[in-house]
Order: sequence, then C-alpha cells, then structure tokens
Amino acid sequence: MFNLHYKLEKYSIRFAVAIILVAAVGGIVEIAPLFTIDETVEQDPNMRVYTPLELAGRNIYIREGCYACHSQMIRTLRDEVERYGHYSLAVESQYDHPMLWGSKRTGPDLARVGEKYSDAWHVRHLTNPRAVVPESVMPSYTWLEKDLRTKDLGQHLAALRKVGVPYTDAMIEHAAQDAYGQANPDSDAAAGVEERYGEATHIRSFDGDSRKTSEMDALVAYLQILGRLSDAATQTPPSAAPSTAESSVTEEAPDGN
Amino acid sequence: MIQQLTKFERRFGLVISVLVAGAGLTLIGMSEDGLLAIHGTIILAAGFIAALLTGGTIHEPEPDAKRLESYYDDPIKFGIIVSMIWAVFGMFMGVWVATLLAYPEWTFDAAWSSFGRLRPVHTTGVIFGFGGNALIATSFHVMQRTSRARMADQLSPWFVLLGYNLFCILAVSGYFMGITQSKEYAEPEWYADIWLVIVWVAYFALYMRTLARRREPHIYVANWYYLAFILVVAVLHIVNNLAVPVSFGHIKSYSAFSGVQDAMTQWWYGHNAVAFFLTAGFLGMLYYYLPKRAGRPIYSYRMSIIGFWGITFFYMWAGSHHLHFTALPQWVQTLGMTFSVMLLVPSWIAAANALLTLNGAWGKVRDDATLRFMFLAAVFYGLSTFEGSFMAIRSVNALSHYTDWTVGPVHAGALGWVALITFGSFYALVPWLWKREGMYSSKLVEVHFWLALSGTLVYVFAMWNSGVIQGLMWRTYNESGALAYSFNESMVAMHPYYIARAIGGLLFLAGAVVGFYNIWKTTKMDTVQSSVPSGDGLIADDASHSR
Amino acid sequence: MEIEHGALVYFSKFYGLIYLLLLSTGVLVYTFWPKNKKRFDYAAKSILTEEDHPHA
Repeated sequence: MFNLHYKLEKYSIRFAVAIILVAAVGGIVEIAPLFTIDETVEQDPNMRVYTPLELAGRNIYIREGCYACHSQMIRTLRDEVERYGHYSLAVESQYDHPMLWGSKRTGPDLARVGEKYSDAWHVRHLTNPRAVVPESVMPSYTWLEKDLRTKDLGQHLAALRKVGVPYTDAMIEHAAQDAYGQANPDSDAAAGVEERYGEATHIRSFDGDSRKTSEMDALVAYLQILGRLSDAATQTPPSAAPSTAESSVTEEAPDGN
Repeated sequence: MIQQLTKFERRFGLVISVLVAGAGLTLIGMSEDGLLAIHGTIILAAGFIAALLTGGTIHEPEPDAKRLESYYDDPIKFGIIVSMIWAVFGMFMGVWVATLLAYPEWTFDAAWSSFGRLRPVHTTGVIFGFGGNALIATSFHVMQRTSRARMADQLSPWFVLLGYNLFCILAVSGYFMGITQSKEYAEPEWYADIWLVIVWVAYFALYMRTLARRREPHIYVANWYYLAFILVVAVLHIVNNLAVPVSFGHIKSYSAFSGVQDAMTQWWYGHNAVAFFLTAGFLGMLYYYLPKRAGRPIYSYRMSIIGFWGITFFYMWAGSHHLHFTALPQWVQTLGMTFSVMLLVPSWIAAANALLTLNGAWGKVRDDATLRFMFLAAVFYGLSTFEGSFMAIRSVNALSHYTDWTVGPVHAGALGWVALITFGSFYALVPWLWKREGMYSSKLVEVHFWLALSGTLVYVFAMWNSGVIQGLMWRTYNESGALAYSFNESMVAMHPYYIARAIGGLLFLAGAVVGFYNIWKTTKMDTVQSSVPSGDGLIADDASHSR
Repeated sequence: MEIEHGALVYFSKFYGLIYLLLLSTGVLVYTFWPKNKKRFDYAAKSILTEEDHPHA
C-alpha cells in the first residue's frame, strides 16, 4: 500500500481536477470582487476599533453562542429600520473578525442595541432575563461575575492586527491595563483608555461593582458599543440625498477618483 | 479486528498513534489558557489507546492471505454503529435545545448546559457525527463494490474513521467549554480544523487509490457524488477556516476575513456544506442503494450525469441568497438568487430519477419499509430543494429570513432527506454486510418508518406556521402606521409551535433509538451461509430496462 | 497591485456567463454522445450483480 509511486490512474485524477474546477469558479466569481469592495462602499476614517474590554466581551458573546439567536444585521426593509434603527452598513463590521451578522432572530437584532438600555438593565437581564422580560426564553447567564482574564489581551490585539485591524503598538502594549481601566473609572489606568481610544469611549463600571473587572463588565461594555463604533449611519450619506447629489460631487473624492 | 492488519500496517499504525499522542502532549505543553490542555489530553488519550491496540498486536502473525479475496468491511461496520450512536446523541441534543426554547428553565444552572453552547452540539452531532460517519462508511462500501476491488489498504480506512471521530469529539467537547469560532457549521477552532484537513487528505487518497484498482472500465456515478463531497468539502473547509491563532498556546483564533467578505465566505461555505456534505454525498448513497434495493437499474443514467454537473456547478453560486437585503452588494445577491432558482433543475432531475426508478415497483415500496425510507427521502429531497429555491427569491426571503421558516425546510431536508436516506441505506446494508438473512425485526423497521415520517411532518408544519406568523407579525402595521406588534408579542405567539416542534423531534429521536436497537440486534444474529446478498428476500426483477 | 472593482465585477459577470454556457454544452454533449450510451447502460446495470467479492 505505501509504495508512493503506486500509479494513480490518470482518468480519476483528471476527473477530480474537473470537479474542483467546475465547483470553484462560482465561489471565485462571487467572492473575489468583494475584496475590492472598499472602492465602492462608504468609508469612515473615524471609525474606532474595539477596546480590549469590548473585544473580550465580544469573545464572551461568541463563547456563549449569542449569535445563534441574535442577528447583528438590520436589513434595508422599512419594518426593520423602524424597529431596530438605520440599516447596517458594510463599513460598520469592517473590523469584525469574524462577523456576527447571524442567521436567526429567536431574540431581537442587536446591531444597534448600544446605549439603548442602561448597564444595570443589561446586568439584570443577563443574570435573570425573565425578571426583566417575563416572556423571554433566553438562558440565565449566572456565571459571568467571575474575573475577566486580561493578561493575554495584548496577544489578542496583535493577532487581530495581523488580519488587518489597525491596533497601534501602544494599544497592544497596554491592552490588559486598558481593559482594567475602562471598567474602573477612578483608577489611574482610565486616562490611558481615553487617550488611546477616544473621548467617546465608555469608561465606567459596567456591572456596578468596581472592585473587580468581571466578564460581565466586558460583555456589557461590548453590548453598549454595538452600532456606535462608527457614525457613518447617522450622517446622511451624500448619495442618499438627491437634491444635493450634484453639489456634493465636488466636496467628495479628495483622492481625485 | 486488528489482527486483520498486516504486520507492516500495525507497525505503521503504531507510529501514527505515537505521533498523535505526541501532538496531544505538545498541545498540553504549549497551552497558555488551560482549555487547550484539556483538548491536548483528549488527543493524547486517543493516541495512547490507539498505540496500545496496535502495539499490543505487533507480534501477532500476518493475517491470512485469503482476506484479499473478499472486500474489507470491518471499518464499514464500525462506521455504521458509530454513526447510529451519534444519531441518537445528536437528536437527543436537538430535542433538548428545542425544549429549551419552549421551557428555558429545563436545564442545569451551569455554563455548559446553556442554549448557546448546546445548539452547536446538536448541529455538529447530527451533521458531522451522524451524517459524516454514515457518508464515510457507505462510501467505503460503494467504492469497493462498484470498483470490484478491495480497498487499497487496511490502515487508512481506520485512520480516516477514527481520526474523523476524534475531530467530532474535539468539536463537541469544545462547545461545552465555550470553544467556538462562531462560524455556523464550522465552529471548531484552528487545531481541530488542521487535524480534519489531515484526515481528509487521507480519505481522498484512499478513495483515489481504490478507484485506481477498479476492475470496471467506468466509474459508477455514485462515486462521482462521493468524490465531489470529499473534494469540495476540503476546499470549503480550508478557505472558510483561514484564521490567525492568538498564539499556539491559545484555543482562540481570529478569522482572516471580516465583515462583508467574512459573511460571504461563511455563507459560501454554509450553503455549499449543505450542497456537498448534505446533498452530494447522500445522492451518492441514493444512486447506489436505491437501485440495489429495488433490484432495478437507475431510471436514467444520463439524467444522473446531468444532475451531477448541474449540482456541482450551480450550488457554488447560490450562497449569497443567505444575505439578501444586507450590506452585501446587490448584484451578488441577485446572482445568488438566480442560481438558486436554476438549482431546482438538477435537484429535481435527481429526485425524479429516483422516483422513476421505483415506477413499476410500487408494490415493493408498499411492502418494504426499507425501500419506502428511500422513496420518502427522494420525495422530501424534491420538496426541500423546491422550498430552498423558493425562499432564495428576494421578496420571499424578506419575510422568511431570520424566522423559523428557515428552520423548517432545513429540517425537511435534514430529517426527511438526509436521515431517511441514511436509515434506508443502513437497513439495506446491514444484512448484506453482516451476512444476515435480513434485519432482526422488519416490524421495527416499519415502526421506525412511521415514527420518522410523523416526527418530520409535525416538526416541519410547526416551523412553517411559526415562521410565517413570526415574519408577518414583524412587518405588520396598524392603522396609525406604526408597527403593530412588539418583538415580545411575536415570541409569545411562538410558544405553542415550539412545543409542537419538540414533540416532532422527540418522535424522530424515538425512531432513531428503535433503529439503533434493531441494527444492534441484527449484528448479534447468526450468519447465513451464502455469499449472495439477500436483501430481505427481494429478488431482482426485470433488470433489463434502461434509458 | 490594484485591480479596479468595476473591471473585476465586469470580468466576473461576463466570463461567468460564457463559462456557464460552455460548461452546460460540454456536459450535454458528453451525456448524449451516442458512443457513450453503451457505457452508461452497462454502468447502470453493473451494480446489480449478486456476487460479493473483488475481482482479481
């Protein structure tokens, strides 16, 4: 069996190659153009990246399988826009590795849930959903009050930088400290978070207990930033306002394209 | 069983086992987050047990040369039993998660047992555990019979089967601990993904080497489907799982893709996993076991070829229908929709071919529950492919997407098509393989059939209803032009359907348990002294017609 | 290297269509090529044999 020069018959090899070729083309044709899509979609140079605490929260969201029941993608349909807010733009998930658009709404869409409810509401709702929403079928997440593991968040940021998220050296170096600082507004570490991630960053104790940085802090921090990393959706895009479309042409395209 | 391996194969098996154990040890040593160490321990244990088994028999004599005069069926038997164990496990998890949606408190107060972690256990358990093992086992059977050649060696089928199940165990145990990439139907993390690639390469090599030994000039069409399954799943798996691990000591990795590109890649994968895992492979099963059981050739061999290339070609374009009205460019959505509708042609060619094969043998379909499993599978295949194409139309999708309406057809396909064709094939295959006169109890096959059918119908109708109601409630406006229902109201409306769904699932699970018992009892029966596959006393009738 | 999005989309759509037509024709020609009929008929019946051992 293991004589490697066993002559694989040409016919079946050619057949296998044909299957791959026939099957592969559809995928290439559809996916390849998406990698040059940046030229066609709205841009937001001011969009910020997730802070280490929010990223940790996002990873908890993934760990607990929240995406199985909650979408993060508001479609361009009237009822969805009225229920959940402005439809989702491509740019808003440009730093999402992986994306969490979801495929099923057993619970409501969360693309713009950020700042819609208070931190205290989220903590109560996550710990005992039916205490807040009696008809909810969400699990009770009673195990999130444990300490958040922060020491390797720098490595997480570095890995994300490898796949294209613009984290700076300073962000990577201070990741663990920033995670702590964001949930402890009175600590010395808080100032660094604002400096690195901007003034609009939420810096507060999300779970109401400033003695420790818990997984609950991280998850609520993540939920509160959903839909708020970019203001591309709240600003009226030039192409959507017909009357100003022509005049805006001159304002646009500083790169001359 | 191990004595059947040649001395060389046993030694080589020992080397592989030691390498696997070594890989497990390495993961333990590198682990920085504890979780990787747990998975390293599982891999180490797997390698250790395999090393004991191969090492313990290393001095046994060479097997009888007479073995080469028959097909190598031991791994197939193993695969069938393992597949049925996964079926019962995976369907039980399905019933549990279905129940949780109606009664969220019916679980333990522990992280591992929350809905979000159990749900991928269910999907992986049934798709990869049950379906995957069934595909591998039956492909080993079909490849040998249609080639009239014994498998190229005796070690690699075991490597493929055991390695594949190690992957499944890593996947499922990982979800309980919260290890997931969050990519639907591709949840396992980077190290498990790499392991699957190794297993898959061995699988493909085994298939090609066995085909190369064939004593038939033409490769029978069932093999085409199995090959497409193996090849395309490999491509999908590798591309969709491209990721950068946080470090080699962490379980966590970050996808190479983000946002729109990631969504498109994920659904290109997700849709084609349905196509090449849940369709192509099982069509291979259909094209072998249905004619075999019915004792008549496939109605039109030409149709099976056209259907094959149609499916191989069209499916790849259709993935973007999962992303209608999203931030994906419109032309990609339209392309996906168009091809989804065109897909109906090759899909129905396959379904019609199966049904026309049975045309003229309806008496058999009536009397033989095994054949009826296959017949019903073809009907559900036609039904769910129609619904798939229908729901890919943008305006339909606007209503159906994000609702239980998607869950309905998925299960019409998964229960009605995938599971029924598998059970039918197993009931045909088990007596042939173990050389028994027939199944232990044909009555229990009948019981299984009706449990499966009623379970599927209850399930699918419940989800159709809840899905359409949900979709309509979300988009209904009152006279003053405001949304008429809150999200919570739509959730309350789902409650009775979620109960019905759990009952449907329970019926289906009960059928699988009956089937497992029946198969198990069959393996314990006496061997019949005849090399002729009897097939429950069915004799080939006019095997002369063809088109 | 920058590939322009519009050009790539055009290429995808245009050659995607050509490819579709060529492939469909190819498959149909292969399937209905008269010489292949005997082979297909033989293959369809080949699985129905009752012997259950490999050929030497």
